[in-house]
Amino acid sequence: MNLLISIMVGVLFGASAFLMLARELKGVCMGVFLLGHGANLAILAVSGTPAGKLPPVLAYGVDLHELVDPLPQALILTAIVIGFAVQALLLTIIVITWRRHQTLSMAVLAEENDH
Amino acid sequence: MTQHQIVLFVVLPMAGGIATMFLHRFHMAQRWVGAGFLLLNIYFACMALATVVPTGSILVSQMGNWPAPFGITIAVDTLSALMLTVGSIVCFCVFLYCVCQFDRDQQGGFFHPMFHMLMLGVQWSFITGDFFNLFVAFEIMLMASYAIFCIGTSKAQMKQAYKYVLLNLLGSTMFVTCLGLIYGQLGTLNMADITRIAMADQLPKTSIPILVMMVLVFGGKTAIFPLWYWLPDTYHTLPSAIGGLFAGLLTKVGAYVMIRVFVMMLGTSQAITEIVAPFLLVTAGITMFLGVLGAVSMHTVRRILSIHIISQVGYMLMGMGLAITIGVKPEIKELAVAGAIFFILHNMVVKCCLFLCSGLMIEHAGDDDLGKIGGLLKRAPWLATLFMIAALSLAGLPPLSGFFGKWVLLSAGFRSEHYIVVSIAVLTSLFTLLSMLKIWSYGFWSPAQGKHVDKPQILPRTVGGTWAIALLVLMSLSMGFGAQKYYSMCATAAKSLIDPSAYVRAVLGERNTPKRVLNNPVSHKTHVQSAPEKISH
Repeated sequence: MNLLISIMVGVLFGASAFLMLARELKGVCMGVFLLGHGANLAILAVSGTPAGKLPPVLAYGVDLHELVDPLPQALILTAIVIGFAVQALLLTIIVITWRRHQTLSMAVLAEENDH
Repeated sequence: MTQHQIVLFVVLPMAGGIATMFLHRFHMAQRWVGAGFLLLNIYFACMALATVVPTGSILVSQMGNWPAPFGITIAVDTLSALMLTVGSIVCFCVFLYCVCQFDRDQQGGFFHPMFHMLMLGVQWSFITGDFFNLFVAFEIMLMASYAIFCIGTSKAQMKQAYKYVLLNLLGSTMFVTCLGLIYGQLGTLNMADITRIAMADQLPKTSIPILVMMVLVFGGKTAIFPLWYWLPDTYHTLPSAIGGLFAGLLTKVGAYVMIRVFVMMLGTSQAITEIVAPFLLVTAGITMFLGVLGAVSMHTVRRILSIHIISQVGYMLMGMGLAITIGVKPEIKELAVAGAIFFILHNMVVKCCLFLCSGLMIEHAGDDDLGKIGGLLKRAPWLATLFMIAALSLAGLPPLSGFFGKWVLLSAGFRSEHYIVVSIAVLTSLFTLLSMLKIWSYGFWSPAQGKHVDKPQILPRTVGGTWAIALLVLMSLSMGFGAQKYYSMCATAAKSLIDPSAYVRAVLGERNTPKRVLNNPVSHKTHVQSAPEKISH
């Protein structure tokens, strides 16, 4: 399971790097979003496999080492919420750019700025 | 100030942001409410400084009363208190300038909420004692700055906004990935707890590359040598007021965090400092020299100032690098950190002040291209005076604040025999003076040209802006003439950063107080020796 997640993290990071090199802003933004998901999965991967462990509810007579560590999941939740806000903001900027310039190509935008 | 009141540094700007958000239709109310919150913030920051400095104590508050490594910790030590005080004063001056001079704060009514939210992020990163919260604070700060970036943007700004947003997002994602991996290795994200582990020399070998990676994360935010490319392209397109705010606060947050992480948390771990310290020293030299060369080659006021930010970051890096170099005596390390802190404080004030000056120059002359303007000395004698003081302070002439910061750093460099970086620093100062004199002679001294030649009347709206600049210059003068007072506070802060056991004790409680382990390979040997003993038993 952990190996699978690790490979997924690598694939996500690679795909996002590829997308971020795109000439279109949409692609670049998608790359950023994917990167965020990759980071979240990486946190999940380091928290270890939950197989054979109990849910993190404290009760008498339960060995602490048998419980799943809940903190990484809390971290991921926070990171997801923040990532969501960032995505909303980026998409807003894209919409504004499209309305003003009728293009999302980096090259065209750069040319317009030079004049 | 009691220890739980420090949460006000998060609550006040947040309340200010929410209140001004609701008032977005009422511009005057928004301004007055905003000013009230900012003044309250300055008051509490000064209170915190007054509480922390005389005794060198540390105010710690555990959120929800969860004990330290498990809950969220916020802590104010001398360094945080200094940054909070100067930061909130700089914020207030920029606010004054925006309200008096810059009418963008009325566009749509959302400038003020974003301003307060930016301040929330900055202050939160100054007081947090927890790595993950640092990430959250960074994110809030950056989101607010993206929004401020995009309010009423021109075309040129829009493209630069992408560069800024994307590169910072990349940095943040790298940061959160690092945090995940650090948690996997160390099982904690509490700064004091990581400091304790580093002091006891128990960092696992596999965690070292991840911790070293953080140089890149914070280096990108601070704009150090290989990662600076986004800054000179971005800041000069901003309106001067916003440029001043970003230059005064955002890059300095990066520098603050680098001091906190690499000097306090990891400075006691030899395995990390032997990689990071040479990197920081080399980067410091290159950053300051290339930055100032860029500034000399530029011909627009805002471009000169924004490239200068990078050059100044070099001095801070030099202080940090000296402070964690192995084999440097502890008192010289303290000197270096104190110099770096003094320099950061001085730079927050002066850099912001110069950006605001450039705004007024544009207001008077209609442009900030040095070829198209001139003769502002006659037109705005007060502005010229204030600019001259701030510029000479940046260059580091003796009675002014920049001199003392550089002097402490240079003496630390001399006494630890790092002559190369010291000579680069001296050379950089000369070039800084040159580039400032360039603005002075073209902008103020040359024959009058520009918009103000045709429109000779003084604009009333520049008066308020001049007051904001005057406040900042006053602050800088007080740091110059009261350098002893400021320096002794910086020295207190430096002492507790070089030996962070007091911080660890304050956050984690007596029980977990570490004994300082001397950095030598003996601790590894004891492991090896003890293993066979166990078998023989």
